[in-house]
Parts: sequence; structure tokens; C-alpha cells
Amino acid sequence: MNKLHFKVGLFAAASLLLAAVFIVYLLHARGFFEKTFHLQLAAASADGVAPGVPVVFSGIEIGRVTSLGLNDDGGIIIRTEFLGRNAKWLKENSTFTLDKPIVGGAKIRVDSPDLKAPALPDNATMLLLTSDISKEIPALVARVQAILANVEYLTRKDGDLNTTLANARTVTGRMTGEYGMLEGVLGSPEKARALTDSLEKTRALITRLDGLAAKADQWLFAEKGVADQTRESLAQVRLMLNDAQSSLKKADATMANAVEITDNVKASTQDLVQLRAEIDDAVRKANDLVNEINKKWPFARKPEVKLP
Amino acid sequence: MDGLSDDVARVSLDLPLRANLSALDNIALIPLYQRHYSAPESTRLAHAMLEELGYAGIALLRDPDMTPAQRFVTKLARALSLKRPRLVIDRPGAMLYDVPYPAFIAQLAAKTETAGTWEIFDFSWNQALYRA
Amino acid sequence: MHFLAASIESLGAKVVGWFTVGYGMFAFLGRAGLLLLEPATWNRATFDVVVKQVYFTAVQILHVFLGYALLISWLIITIILSTARDFGLVEFASEMTIRVLVLELLPFLTALFVALRSGSAINTEVALMQVNNELDALAHCKVPPMQFEFLPRLIGGVVSVVTLAGLAGLLAMLMGYVAIYGANSAGFEPYTQTIAKIFDLKIMAGLIVKCALFGLAVTLIPVTAGLETPKKLFMVPVSVLRGMMRVFFAIVAIEGMSLALKYI
Repeated sequence: MNKLHFKVGLFAAASLLLAAVFIVYLLHARGFFEKTFHLQLAAASADGVAPGVPVVFSGIEIGRVTSLGLNDDGGIIIRTEFLGRNAKWLKENSTFTLDKPIVGGAKIRVDSPDLKAPALPDNATMLLLTSDISKEIPALVARVQAILANVEYLTRKDGDLNTTLANARTVTGRMTGEYGMLEGVLGSPEKARALTDSLEKTRALITRLDGLAAKADQWLFAEKGVADQTRESLAQVRLMLNDAQSSLKKADATMANAVEITDNVKASTQDLVQLRAEIDDAVRKANDLVNEINKKWPFARKPEVKLP
Repeated sequence: MDGLSDDVARVSLDLPLRANLSALDNIALIPLYQRHYSAPESTRLAHAMLEELGYAGIALLRDPDMTPAQRFVTKLARALSLKRPRLVIDRPGAMLYDVPYPAFIAQLAAKTETAGTWEIFDFSWNQALYRA
Repeated sequence: MHFLAASIESLGAKVVGWFTVGYGMFAFLGRAGLLLLEPATWNRATFDVVVKQVYFTAVQILHVFLGYALLISWLIITIILSTARDFGLVEFASEMTIRVLVLELLPFLTALFVALRSGSAINTEVALMQVNNELDALAHCKVPPMQFEFLPRLIGGVVSVVTLAGLAGLLAMLMGYVAIYGANSAGFEPYTQTIAKIFDLKIMAGLIVKCALFGLAVTLIPVTAGLETPKKLFMVPVSVLRGMMRVFFAIVAIEGMSLALKYI
């Protein structure tokens, strides 16, 4: 037989075989032989998410974003696609987090704490967290507790607020001017305005906490919204927020009472200045917290603050 | 010259062999591409042609390895394969400078059985050679 | 004024020259393509010449080529890996390796390799055939040189470049795997994911088309350059020189076009 033909034949056969093997491998890798698994992620913001963004589990890519869209309520729906063989990593208690590292593209991280949990059905909808809220919840709880303690300290029966107000009740004198009695109490319009500002801020905070609590409800009771222990933590936060809210309401009411008080003014001025500083501090911290929660909270695209 | 070539097969210095093909392949090209014979059949025909001329031994030689006479025989075989009515040998003296060529050509012509005519174009001063 | 006119004239002559060359090339390609459509072309004889061409362009140099591909791949992979490690970007190393080597560098180098070896040889041979009247002899015998000499070279070039680039690419992917994950199967899943991510249908088709165009460029251009040679022996080197310059520009143009289509 012709040696040249034999060599070329061998070359052609080997090349075709390798090409065929590679094509089969590629089809396998691209999931041609298996069903694709679809998952929808509801997100607060589509910032950084685009078709092609990978979904990673333990650092390995298991799927990718296919398209973005809006649902009927104006929420963002991110459609993702997984190979059938990778669907086993998606459990009902999995959390989905959008990671935006400093270097490299955005990716959606899947955490499945319990691989024995029931698998997600095809076309399920899950929440996409902007960053890992479940890890930050303990810190969040601690901060809420601190603020709560602060508020409680201010409003407890023998606390500064009551003492101060008790002092204020003894304040007597004619009240004149724009700021009414408080000007008399504080001795100057500036000081009186400072206190009323604090009251305004407190009221605004109460409204915001109200809105936040409503959102927490919405999130908590949404079907398959979040994983169980996350839900517990959030329920805890929810209770604390309620506490803080009621405490602040109490403070507000007490402060409002102060307006009606007429008594010796000068003696209690110092106390009121200090009180104002403390309330301001508490309000500022609470405001920060609310801002942060709002930033991380799903579905909280616009902080719905309505001033009273 | 080419104007008359449709019924003329030429053997000429101007029409060399394909340098990187053997004598056999050069001849086999004709049945292969002109009459669409199969490759083995074409090779067989080419071989038969060389054998008829008594030069079967040069089948595997390439152009640079041939003597002028062998080269001429290959060209002649190629021209005969064309099976055209007229065969023109153009200035054989330029191709066959190592043999007494009129006798050589006559010898070759005697070996072949062709239907057509052979014509030799040569310089007039060589006329004397053909009278011998 | 005279100088200006002269330079405009020379520019015009150049442009006309380029168009003539380009037209000649594409007309030749068109004739070759039409011939491909004819059933008479697909005979045993053409096939044999194609086999011979594939042998000379691909099989004969396979071991040298694969050794060279191995060396280049190893160097590039090492550079990419160590840089990626320095910057803490190892997870991008495999994708980078495949994109740089398999999709761009190896097809390009394969085309250059085949151009230097077979392209120059084809150019010289066709130029010599033209100068020696061998093409006239074939025409006299009514043997079509396109079918017998040129088309098999084009097919052989395309087949060879596609196959060699493919083999080199597979080799590079294998080396990349070994370099990144070592000689075990631990990295199979993530590597498969990376490969699946890179090679979608568009990329695969683009790669094959690019290699085919490379193969065509490194054979078609030498053939047409050879055919342009005036019938003077001393013009053969000039013809090869021109042909190889055109091949080089064509390869760079094809690569540039493919990059532009892919990333812009």
C-alpha cells in the first residue's frame, strides 16, 4: 500500500477522531445532553447584573444569567439558567447573593448551608441579596439592641427624660415669643429651636421605622423568601424595631407634654440641653441603622419616607 | 503556433514536462484529466505507451534525471496520448542533441501504430540529415 | 507642480496595482469555487493530489509543528499563570490561557508556519512552472492546471491549517489543564465549565472560519503571485518576495478582522 496515503489517512483519522471527541466533550460541557434548569431571582437592584454574569457555588461556576426583566410590580427579575447536573446544588434554603468584587466582574453567589434540604423546583423564584445580609445580621442585632438600650435609658421611669421633664414641670413664668413656653424654658429662641428640631427628627424616625417594619413583614412572610435561620434573626430585628418604635413614641409624647409645662425655667436649662444631645445621638444612630437596613433590604428601592 | 493546435499534438522544446512528476505521471495526466479515466487505468495506459516505444524503464524518472533522448520519448508519448490527427515535432535538433535524431525518430515512428500523420518542422539547413 | 503630479500619478499607479492584484486573486478564487461545484472535479485524481498536498503541508511537518506548538504553549501558559498568581487572579488564568492560545495565537502561528514552509514553496513552484512554460504545455495538452495543480493546493492549505491549528489548540488546552491543576482529575469540572463558557457556537464557527481563511490566504496568494511572474527566471525571487509580503499582510488583516468582530 502507498505509504504516503497511509500516513495521510492516519493523520486524517486521528484528527477527525480528536475533533469528534472534542465536539462531544464540548456538547457535554455546554449541557447539550441534559435539561437546563431555570431559576428566577428577585432583586432590589439590577446594578452590575447583566446577561452572562456567572452564578457560582463554592467558587465554581454552575450557571449564568440569561436575561433581566421587570415583574408586574416593578420589581427586578433576573432569569438564570443552570445545567441539569448543577441543579442539585440549589436547595430551598439556599441563599443568593450578588457579589461585586473590586477586581473582576460581578457574580451571584449561591450558599446552600444544608445540602440535605429539599431541592428547588424548576422555575422557582428566589430573592437575590445585594450583599450577604445573613452574615451581617448578628452585627445588625447588636446595633439595634444598643440603640434600644439608649432609647430605653432615656425613657425609663427614673430616666433622664422623666427627671428632666419633672424638673421642667416646676418651671414657671410667662411664655412669650415664637417658640412659646420652650423659649422661656431654654432662655433663647436658638435653644428652643434645637429642642423642637430633635422632636421633629424623632417623629421622622418613628415614621421610617414604621415603614421598615412593614417591609420586614412583607419580606418575612413572602413565600420561600429567606432561609429559616435568617428568618428568625429578622423576626428578632423586627421585634426590636417595634420596641424602639414604641419607646421613641413614648419619648415623643413625653416631650410633647413638656410644651404644656409652665414652671421655673432657669434651673432646668442645663438638663434640657443634655437631654437634647442624648436624643439627637439616639436619633442619629437609629437613622444610620435605618439607612443601612434600607440599603440592604430587598424591595426597598426607594426609602419611603413621608414626613409627618 | 497554438492557433492550429486543436487537432495538432506538438512535441516541442517550448512545451516541457511537469518537472516534479515522473515520466509515467506526465503521460497519465492526459487520459486522467482529458478523458476522465480512473487513476490506475490512466497509469496502465501510460505504461503501455512507454512500453510500445521501448522505454518502459524510464517510467519513474523525472525530467531533470532524464537524458535528452528519454525526455524526448516522454514528450512524444504524451503527444501520442492526446490522440490528435496530426503530430508535429518542432525542431527536434533542439531536443535531441545527443543522438542522430532523424534515424532515432524514424525508429520510434516504426514502433508505434498511430492513425495520424507525423510532421517534422526543422531548420532548412538540417534538410540534408533527413536524406540519409 | 510637476513633482505633485508625479506623486499623484505614482499613487494612482499603486492603487490600480493593488486593485489588479486583488481582482486577480478574487477572480481566481471565484474560478476555483465554481470548479468545486462541478461534479467532474470530485474524482479520484483530484482527491489523490489533495492527499499529496495534505501530506506535504501537514503530515510531513506534524512532529516539528507539534513540538513547536508545545514549546510556545508552555511558555505562554507559564507566563500567564505566574502573572495571574502574582496579581491573585488565578481563577481567570484558564480562561485567559484558552482565549490567548487556542483562539488567537496558535491559529496565527500555524498560518505563519504553513505560509513560511508551504506558501513560499508553492509560490516558487508556480513561478517556475510559469517561467518554464510548463503551464503552456499543460494548456496544450488540455489538462486544466486549476483542477490539477491549484485547487488541490487550496484545499490542502485549508485542511492543513484548520487541522494543525485544531491539534495545537487541543494540545494547548491539555497543557493548560496540567499546568493549572496538575496531573489529576480534580480540576476537570471547573476546567470543563471554563471551556463550555468560552466555546459557544459563534466562537467555534469563528475559529474554524478564521483558520480556513488563513489556509486560503497562505495558498491562494502564493499561487496568484506565482502566476503573475513574467517569463524571466530572475523574476522568480521577486515573485516569491511579493507573494510572501502579501501573505503576511493578509494573515495580519484576517487576525485583526477576527479580533475586531469578537471584541468590538
